[in-house]
Amino acid sequence: MIKVEQLHKYFGDLHVLKGVDLEVAPQEVVVMIGASGSGKSTLLRCLNFLEMKNEGRILIDGKEVDPATTPLNKVREHVGMVFQHFNLFPHMTVLENVIEAPVHVKKIPRAEAIERGRELLEKVGLGDKGDVYPEKLSGGQKQRVAIARALAMEPSVMLFDEPTSALDPELVGEVLEVMKSLAADGMTMVVVTHEMGFAREVADRVVFLDNGQIAEQGDPETFFSNPQHPKAQQFLSRVL
Amino acid sequence: MTSFFENLLSTFPAFMEAAWMTLRLTGVSLVLALVIGLIFALMKVTGVRWLGVIYNGYVGIIRGTPLIVQIMWLYFGITHIVVLSAFWAGTIALAIHSGAYIAEIFRGCIQSVDKGQMEAAESLGMKRALAMRRIILPQALKRAIPPLGNQFIIGLKDSSLVAFIGITEIFSLSMDNAAVTFKQLEFYTIAGLYYLAMVAIVTFVLSRVENRMDTAK
Repeated sequence: MIKVEQLHKYFGDLHVLKGVDLEVAPQEVVVMIGASGSGKSTLLRCLNFLEMKNEGRILIDGKEVDPATTPLNKVREHVGMVFQHFNLFPHMTVLENVIEAPVHVKKIPRAEAIERGRELLEKVGLGDKGDVYPEKLSGGQKQRVAIARALAMEPSVMLFDEPTSALDPELVGEVLEVMKSLAADGMTMVVVTHEMGFAREVADRVVFLDNGQIAEQGDPETFFSNPQHPKAQQFLSRVL
Repeated sequence: MTSFFENLLSTFPAFMEAAWMTLRLTGVSLVLALVIGLIFALMKVTGVRWLGVIYNGYVGIIRGTPLIVQIMWLYFGITHIVVLSAFWAGTIALAIHSGAYIAEIFRGCIQSVDKGQMEAAESLGMKRALAMRRIILPQALKRAIPPLGNQFIIGLKDSSLVAFIGITEIFSLSMDNAAVTFKQLEFYTIAGLYYLAMVAIVTFVLSRVENRMDTAK
């Protein structure tokens, strides 16, 4: 589904990603963890080209994506993204947020998009909120709308960039529940998170990044109970 | 004092006509200025280098020279190329002048929209132009309304400077009357009252628009 080979990324002189190799299989849930500054969010953002790699190859659905020759908007139609700060469109109602891209990018008839949009809002537990503006929602509700908005494009993979980090603790659960049900439906997901419980329960594979490289990866049971890399041991002892 | 009101009344029809000219000058020039301002602001925010250079040159020259110089330059300069009526020379000069300030307003408002908005739009497969039109501009334009209102009021008052290229609007009519009657203080006070009334009307309309935008989101 997604394949990354020898990815390097610099911010000026700062070498953020130092040759990352990563492969995500269809229907796989990969959770990326690591200390802040380890490069996990940058790696995620490279996957839908919000950050441009400096070296290496990124393949989506088996095809290499070269930003110079591939229209990125076409690639992004298949790669949904959920942001830490939701980034809902404040001048549109919840339902308008959800149908915006299907109507204006995919050119789906509006009535059809509305019907599908209402289904998606129902799915994330916000069937009654379609006509309100985002500012009226709690953080957890906003993030669930953001998930519905990304799903409306029917992506083949969903990227989550610390989706619960900006939420009050009591609102984290409702977002994780939606993500769990997505995983159960077979969605391919790459998740950057600090929620170790979620990683343990939902991930097929945990990827631990340290200093711009993948230091360790494996199934969550093994990783959490018996981490091998000293940095991983150190990290887990601090967060668990 | 009686003479003041007599003068006010006797010149009322002429001043109404002059006020209509002021309104047309202001209205047409500001509509053009909005178009100019939006185009230049969009040029600037594309990040294309040479477009940014053009923008900086335009805004730099217009903000760096007095409006009266720009009016004179256009009025006497343009006749070497095309013959332009005083009205259009004045209107275009006012439009180019306000356009620079309005471009700065639009640029600032566009850049004040959180960059996560563009990222979210792009992550949904929207091209930058579509995202600009559907996501960024609606938010930016709403924020632009209060500073634009301010600029409209400045534009209305600045239109008085076209008096010096022979357009009969409020200020030039006051000058003419003052010169003929030697009642300078009275006629410049009358001019001030007309501007005050027109600015009051514009302010009222703008506050209605702002309120409506607030409730309509």
